[in-house]
Amino acid sequence: MPPELSIVAGAVALPFAAAGVTPVVYRLVGDRTGYLGAVVALACFGLLGSQLGTRGVVSSSWVPSLDVSLRFYVDGWALLFALLASGIGALIFTYSARYMHEERNLARFYATMLAFMGSILGVALAADLIVVFLFWELTSLCSFVLIGHYTDERASQYAARMAMIVTVGGGLFLLAGLLLLSVAAGTVLDGSTFDLAAMLADADAVQAALREEGLFVPVLLSMGVAAGAKSAQVPLHFWLPNAMVAPTPVSAFLHSATMVKVGVYFVGRLRPLLGSPEWTLLFATVGLLTMTAGAMLAVVATDLKELLAYSTASHLGLMVAGFGFESVYGGEAGAFHLLNHALFKAPLFLVAGIVAHEVGTRRLDGLSGLWRDLPVTAVIAAITGLSMAGIPPFSGFYSKELLFEATYEAAHAAGGLTWLYPALAVFASVFTVLYSLRFLAIFVGDQPDAIASVPRPSASLVVPPGVLALATAVVSVSPQFAVDVIVQQAVDSTAAGTPEVHVGLPDHLSPPVAMSAVAIVGGVATYPAIDRIRAGTEEIVRARALRPCWWYDKLLMGVEETSPRLGDWIHNGLLRTYVTWSFVAASALVLSGYAATGEVMPATGEAAVTAAMALVLVVAVVAAVAVVIAPSHVAGVLSLSILGFMVAIFYILASAPDLALTQLVVETLVLLIFLLVIEQLPAFYADVNRWVIARDVGVSLFVGATAFLTVILSSPAASGDPTAIARYYATEAVPEAGGTNVVNVILVDFRAFDTLGELFVITVAGLSVLVLITMRNRGETK
Amino acid sequence: MTTIITKTTARIVVPIILVLAISLLLQGHNLPGGGFIGGVLTTVAFGLVYVAYGLDYLDVGVLGREVEPGTGVFEHRTVTAFQRLFVVGLAVVIGSGFGALAFDEPFLSQTFTIVEHVPIYHEIELATALVFDVGVYLVVVGVLLTILSVVGAE
Repeated sequence: MPPELSIVAGAVALPFAAAGVTPVVYRLVGDRTGYLGAVVALACFGLLGSQLGTRGVVSSSWVPSLDVSLRFYVDGWALLFALLASGIGALIFTYSARYMHEERNLARFYATMLAFMGSILGVALAADLIVVFLFWELTSLCSFVLIGHYTDERASQYAARMAMIVTVGGGLFLLAGLLLLSVAAGTVLDGSTFDLAAMLADADAVQAALREEGLFVPVLLSMGVAAGAKSAQVPLHFWLPNAMVAPTPVSAFLHSATMVKVGVYFVGRLRPLLGSPEWTLLFATVGLLTMTAGAMLAVVATDLKELLAYSTASHLGLMVAGFGFESVYGGEAGAFHLLNHALFKAPLFLVAGIVAHEVGTRRLDGLSGLWRDLPVTAVIAAITGLSMAGIPPFSGFYSKELLFEATYEAAHAAGGLTWLYPALAVFASVFTVLYSLRFLAIFVGDQPDAIASVPRPSASLVVPPGVLALATAVVSVSPQFAVDVIVQQAVDSTAAGTPEVHVGLPDHLSPPVAMSAVAIVGGVATYPAIDRIRAGTEEIVRARALRPCWWYDKLLMGVEETSPRLGDWIHNGLLRTYVTWSFVAASALVLSGYAATGEVMPATGEAAVTAAMALVLVVAVVAAVAVVIAPSHVAGVLSLSILGFMVAIFYILASAPDLALTQLVVETLVLLIFLLVIEQLPAFYADVNRWVIARDVGVSLFVGATAFLTVILSSPAASGDPTAIARYYATEAVPEAGGTNVVNVILVDFRAFDTLGELFVITVAGLSVLVLITMRNRGETK
Repeated sequence: MTTIITKTTARIVVPIILVLAISLLLQGHNLPGGGFIGGVLTTVAFGLVYVAYGLDYLDVGVLGREVEPGTGVFEHRTVTAFQRLFVVGLAVVIGSGFGALAFDEPFLSQTFTIVEHVPIYHEIELATALVFDVGVYLVVVGVLLTILSVVGAE
């Protein structure tokens, strides 16, 4: 059954529309704007839910000349992700209405959250590479705004900038990868195409074309970097813990349930297209390393949200690794865990938010025995926390079991070093159990005296995580139900064939079951020694060279220190420096362009120079020399005018009256402006350095030679026929545009859009002059 | 620069330049000329007035209004008028582009029609491109005069 375009497009557009009216709504209803967001998210959830079971592409044309269209691909995988985003979104908005009570800048907060939700739905459903990129970057942008919610705090600024640099930098890799992909796909599917759905339909042919053109590995790596940056994979995971300075609803929504999963989602999307041994090597390795590193860092964490952040990175690694394996189990692990993780991690964040909100601290060391005051919250935390640990029969267990199965299958098939895969997975799982228990420990035991009385959280804080915990419980009790409803369809979309997913509690001992047992027993058995493990792990992860954050700071500081040094050379406030650099750089670029294309030999042909032209040109050259050696400004300006008027006469001789007219009036205007300012110019500057003169002469000759070469190369041979486009302009000017002045017809009719652009340039130049002169007394003083 | 010679010359020359500029603008579609050339030429005319008589002349001498002494160049009525001029110009240009959309044509499409049996001229060609060209003219005049007056005031 094909999906309905209006419903799908409506679900994506609705949040954006709501974001637009949010400031007005906020002015009317204040704090309760959060409920508007919840209603919008619920509406999207309903719209998308009605499409459950459909599969296909719907599109509406956007930029037909570039073959870009608003194309949406609806299948189980897209719907799973989109439904998660909108469903969790509804709960988060409800939670925010209470949690963000009396915060500042709420209109911006809700508008950005809504826009973010629209972008996520866009990424999930888009099937056009350009549209995918657009929404992908929009999510990064919204994340930047939301992380930096507390605009005055340095930590927020630092974290927001870091997230921006890492995720948008990754986005550039995505752009490169997508363009390469479309180039390769263009050879198979007819013409250059951005249609992801068509590529997926013909996956084998596209992959063969990629390999043939030698683009397979570059595409794979670009996609790997893009997904890794977005989904916090090692070594680009460091932005995620820093992003925890954002308000808790943001952490729960963006940095655990949705945005960080965009990378995972896209890996799953591309799996049928790029699946290969190289794919497995890259994603299984990176995923398992992230899973291990994240789990170890989570054990070391001292803050509730920091623990959850590293744990999120670890679980994202699990999903990426799952998709990395080519076996059926891999895809199942990835898709099923995406669902499970969203259902248990978002409520855990909300629980952390409740603890912070009611108790006033998020430090793990100071918290224990909270179950007495927060019983409902403790139950929610228990269900979801045990699911995070992967303890049977909680939901996380089933998907982790699938990953163990995938690693075991891969190792069993390939042997050798690939046995490291299951070993790493088990090792990471031991740490997962450890930190999950550490998290739950805040609810058990005796309540320390420092926490006197904890107020009851209000219902709108407890209900959203409660609903999610209930969902986790449902999946835990009946995993096959979740599979039947949506996971099976999602797995179908991420795998090449149509595998049957079966999950449930194990009934006999198999290698994956043994692996689970080792992980759980290992974790529980070592828990009493957690302090020593923490200290030992801390030794490892605190090593400077192993901390990407340190490298990031170094890099950024290096850039910040180097730029002012370069500034003295390039940006020293002297107009002639700017002119020198820009002219030399432009000329060098132009020349290297000619060299690269091999266009260094000018077209041969007789230059039709008459005696009159030669005379005019000679006068012009003499005037040019006179400008340079002129003893006074007046003489210089007049010589310059002579030069200009000679050029105008040359145009007349070359029968270009429009050019000549323009040259004449501009020359007159320039002369007039010189008359205005000439009295203000100093009569004597300074004795100039010989080296400076030599440099200026060199630059002038270089630029002049480049311009000369360009003219020679670009003008058609005098004897040759006019080009097709020149002929078109000449013959069509009268019948098409009704004008006999071809130059003017080109300017205002055939190429009016260019003229429009030039008018903007003129306007911007005028505004710049205004601003420069207005600001000259307010600028920096050096 | 405000000598008698300059003033007298400007008095005679400026009207001629202005008429020439307008005619260049209007005939641009079929003969040498157009919005840009007309605009620069108009700027030259105003620049000449400015050099010969000063910035206040347009207000005081031509329009017969009072000018408060001591207003800065940015608040000067003439200069704000120049600034408004290029905004209007941009609006005309973009508006002329959107006009085509109403007839289901791409942005900035132009067309023309020939009106016959007009007295004196016999036939006149009316091109939508002229609207666009007038916009170009306004932008060029506005920007150049703004720059000229602000720089000149320094």
